[in-house]
Amino acid sequence: MIYSDTESILPEEQVKVNNEREHLLGNSGVQIMEAYSEADISKVLTFAYEHEKTVNVISGGTKRGFGGESESADILLSLANYKGIVEHSVGDLTMTVRPGTTLKEITDELAKKGQFVALDTAWPEMATIGGIISANDSGPKRLLYGSARDLVIGLRVVYADGRVIRTGGKVVKNVAGYDMNKLFIGAMGTLGVISEITIKLRPLPKYEGLSLIHFPKGSEKKIHDFSVSLLDSVMEPVTLELLTPTLAEKLTGKNSYILGIAFEDREKAVLEQVKWISENLPESVGHTVMYQEEAKKWWEDFWQIGPNGYNDEVDEDNTWAALKIGSNNMDVLDNLEAAEKLAETHHLTLQGHGGLGHGISRIYIKGRPDDIVSFIKKLRAKTEEKNGFVVCTHLPFKLRETVNVWGVKPAHFALLEGVKLANDSKRILNRKRFVGGI
Amino acid sequence: MFGKKRKLQGLDAITRKLMAIVGENEVLYKKEDLISYECDGYTMYKGMPRAVVFVKDTQQVSQVVQCLNKEEIPYIARGAGTGLSGGATPLGGEVLISLVKMKRMLHLDLENRKAVVEPGYINLKLTQSISDKGYYYAPDPSSQYACTIGGNVAENSGGAHCLKYGVTTNHILGLEIVLPSGEIVEIGEEGVPDQPGYDLLGLLTGSEGTLGIVTKVTVKVLKNPEAKKTALAYFDDIDDASQAVSDIIAAGIIPAALEMMDEIAIEGVESAAYPVGHPRDIASFLLIEVDGIAVGIDDQIEEILTVCKQNNVREVKVAKDEAERSLWWANRKMGFGAMGAISPDYLVQDGVIPRTRLPEVLAKITQISRKYDLRIANIFHAGDGNLHPLILFDASVPGESERASRAGSECLKEKRGRD
Repeated sequence: MIYSDTESILPEEQVKVNNEREHLLGNSGVQIMEAYSEADISKVLTFAYEHEKTVNVISGGTKRGFGGESESADILLSLANYKGIVEHSVGDLTMTVRPGTTLKEITDELAKKGQFVALDTAWPEMATIGGIISANDSGPKRLLYGSARDLVIGLRVVYADGRVIRTGGKVVKNVAGYDMNKLFIGAMGTLGVISEITIKLRPLPKYEGLSLIHFPKGSEKKIHDFSVSLLDSVMEPVTLELLTPTLAEKLTGKNSYILGIAFEDREKAVLEQVKWISENLPESVGHTVMYQEEAKKWWEDFWQIGPNGYNDEVDEDNTWAALKIGSNNMDVLDNLEAAEKLAETHHLTLQGHGGLGHGISRIYIKGRPDDIVSFIKKLRAKTEEKNGFVVCTHLPFKLRETVNVWGVKPAHFALLEGVKLANDSKRILNRKRFVGGI
Repeated sequence: MFGKKRKLQGLDAITRKLMAIVGENEVLYKKEDLISYECDGYTMYKGMPRAVVFVKDTQQVSQVVQCLNKEEIPYIARGAGTGLSGGATPLGGEVLISLVKMKRMLHLDLENRKAVVEPGYINLKLTQSISDKGYYYAPDPSSQYACTIGGNVAENSGGAHCLKYGVTTNHILGLEIVLPSGEIVEIGEEGVPDQPGYDLLGLLTGSEGTLGIVTKVTVKVLKNPEAKKTALAYFDDIDDASQAVSDIIAAGIIPAALEMMDEIAIEGVESAAYPVGHPRDIASFLLIEVDGIAVGIDDQIEEILTVCKQNNVREVKVAKDEAERSLWWANRKMGFGAMGAISPDYLVQDGVIPRTRLPEVLAKITQISRKYDLRIANIFHAGDGNLHPLILFDASVPGESERASRAGSECLKEKRGRD
């Protein structure tokens, strides 16, 4: 059904009936509305708010399997065509960009001026900056460069009722008022639709290197001790990412735990740090080093792992799930090991990696749905013992109902709900996409 | 005993209730005791608090807050009182809840790079207590020798080195807070990053205590860089110095710190406790620090010197040792206080502009200075575009305070137009 009064909202060519309403990943909408401008977003939301229509938001669609307990909303608002860099201030190292711009498009454009945005998330040619910020996605390089909350300095946001607000600014420090930017980062679009992002940039590194250390089976203590000694040294690694043997095999052909340690600096400084690694290697480990193009290529392959919203298999026995684990830095090793063991007993294939310096791990598992559900419950129980958490960042819609995507409600849930209701009292935006059914 | 009872009988009910929670000696209520709490580091406006309560733990904070909430008496949390924006100034007869006695470090976990402290813990003390192991706490406001971490959270304090390392919000992993209801809430438990839920840590940091009182803070600690180099670049023209700032960043260098001072500011710091011997006839200087892997540092400083030369620098000096570096930083960090050496009073403003617009905004500030016939010194974090115009005035001259206040507002208005 097309609402009869929608013609007045957006031009006809921007409104479509959705023929794919029963999408495997849910988060769909009866009617697709494509925004070409901030005014379009505002018009759609004004209409939806007035008529109490629910709205799901989508851009690249790579995070479609992330959260959401209702299969379909009334409207699926697409920002995929609202893209482009609005302003790149080279001397200020800042950029203002529209939400539908993919990370790859941004990277390519900024590279012309020798700069980049320090977010190294998966599937950069598909994932959009709006989605990355809304889901607070991050990659291994957050160890040195921080995550979205450290980089975003300003936002324009369309509230549920269509009002447009501006938070932060185009300056690199915010000195007045509540830091509202933070609320929208990782909020899964439940507080407003981000219509413009101003973000801090970095100069492209002058040189890069990547040390891959291969640890034979049973080297857990070595991995721990080596990581601690590196973090306690004056070296400045950009990543200290541990890869499970299966992921290592996919990327390097060798089935063993790998520590991927990246350095990005002046050539001399990179070489010096790789030298430190060579001189401090534990006994009986392998060490492969790559520089420049070869290192870049390795990372490009690294970003093409896991589900992306379009690569799920139809066969139910090959159901795919992605998990984000947060823990204390040094618990990453335990969590990856525990996940591997659980995958074995649950007949699941698993690939995973985690940052020993930043505490975020990613697990990709494939297998039968009931095994996946059981795996998630057990892994969650295990990580929670040490104050960690497990969030399901990709799961078919049907399974999301049985597995609590975000884990148990935090003790301060009432505060979160208060924030939601202050922003979207009718709960029209991305309903039930967030913690505790917000 | 009889005398004590009689003394307490003269007190109002609220004071007695507060005393019942924290103890008689932990509440100030006499006018002579309250005077030193009538403002913080921002001295333009003052007000008398109703009382000052010294709390010793989270439970007491909760009880005090519940008591005041019930009686509908407003309150303000206070740390060391070094804030320059009046965040702890009781303009409405508030009760001040002082957190200076909650000053312990509760936990240190270097392997996971975090420390848990009470809000009254002093900023610099954190770095001092871990420096022997090669670690430090990055946010370094100029008042770091006295200011508290709780106050830093309330104000989202920055510092000279936040150009490369970020401000307080980038270093907070967890908070325990007491809400106005007295409820104790923990956010970011154990300092684990990205916990599910809206980023309340980000919202609370910089909220000036208006959402709750912070009673426990989990912070990130960092490893000291292998090497540091610090340079001073003297310019005859302030526009050249401003241009050099943009050019350094555009050259792909992110210094650890990039500070600037103008002629009047230099006059102040050279008349105060830590004179460096800056030439008195220069228009401005840049204080530049780079840090990182030792083998790359010399190249970085070389490139910076080249940029300065391209922008007509008069002279460049690189600190020859740690003693010289420390002197330069002491000279800079005592900069605000140094204004006392050349002016009876000063008003400091805090604003941020895109750093590429420094020249035009500085020119505008010069015009404002002429318009109000007040000297304005500029000491600022140039790399961030974070300006601190210091408006010099004499409060004993009738009308001068008001003029200073108006000049300050105009400076900020000018900045707002630019961000």
